[in-house]
Amino acid sequence: MIQPQTHLNVADNSGARELMCIRIIGASNRRYARIGDVIVAVIKEAIPNTPLERSEVIRAVIVRTCKELKRNNGMIIRYDDNAAVIIDQEGNPKGTRIFGAIARELRQNFSKIVSLAPEVL
Amino acid sequence: MRIETCWFCSSKVYPGHGIQYVRNDAKIFRFCRSKCHKNFKMKRNPRKVKWTKSYRKLHGKDMTQDSTFEFERKRNRPERYDRNVAENTLKAIKTISKVRASRYDTHIKKRMMGNKRKELDRDRKEVRQDIDMVKAPSAQNKDPSFTLPKIKIKNSQPLEENHAMEE
Repeated sequence: MIQPQTHLNVADNSGARELMCIRIIGASNRRYARIGDVIVAVIKEAIPNTPLERSEVIRAVIVRTCKELKRNNGMIIRYDDNAAVIIDQEGNPKGTRIFGAIARELRQNFSKIVSLAPEVL
Repeated sequence: MRIETCWFCSSKVYPGHGIQYVRNDAKIFRFCRSKCHKNFKMKRNPRKVKWTKSYRKLHGKDMTQDSTFEFERKRNRPERYDRNVAENTLKAIKTISKVRASRYDTHIKKRMMGNKRKELDRDRKEVRQDIDMVKAPSAQNKDPSFTLPKIKIKNSQPLEENHAMEE
């Protein structure tokens, strides 16, 4: 459950360290985003000397949430943290590496992220 | 679909039950119910929590080594369906579980041997020590009804030791 003002970790090597959600893409008054949803976020913390800077507005896709994720087969999965991967307008990841486990729900729309991920659960 | 085992209590987790927790290093912890999940979140060690299987195994409460446990195995390749094999397996499950139950019973019986004797000794000791709680020592001396029939016949003074034994 990611909503505006939620802080998220960054699960790639794009250069950002921490994001804050400011908008959820999808509907006009959407409240919460889940795994696989795209959000507009602002970079709260970045590694110096990287293309991304603090207070830059970017798009990101959520890859892990602390809130449980329910699958159709009855499986319930909970992750350690809220994490996102920074993407461009076309949905391609900005970084070249992904860190940590990633949910299988991303496979439909973000196959590139899934192929980079070390572990897909 | 696979029947998993709970990380905390080692019971079976059937599809649709429980919750999975994925740590950032991609290790999966499966829990059979919220009780186990909560205990995990409290950072309890299952080896120190008395109701878990790992505690019982560690402290010799349960059977640990038995040939019936070796039938259960994790296979990553799905077996091709064969009617005869399925039938035989279903038959075998019944007999194996019966054998396991009987072995478990004998194990428990062996473990409980000598417990009755210990309990009896403990009770006797308690009566001997705390007879004053039933009757005050002075009342014991006065009241003839408190003396025991054997001693009455002898007409001797009531001994505390004898009371205790008869109680």
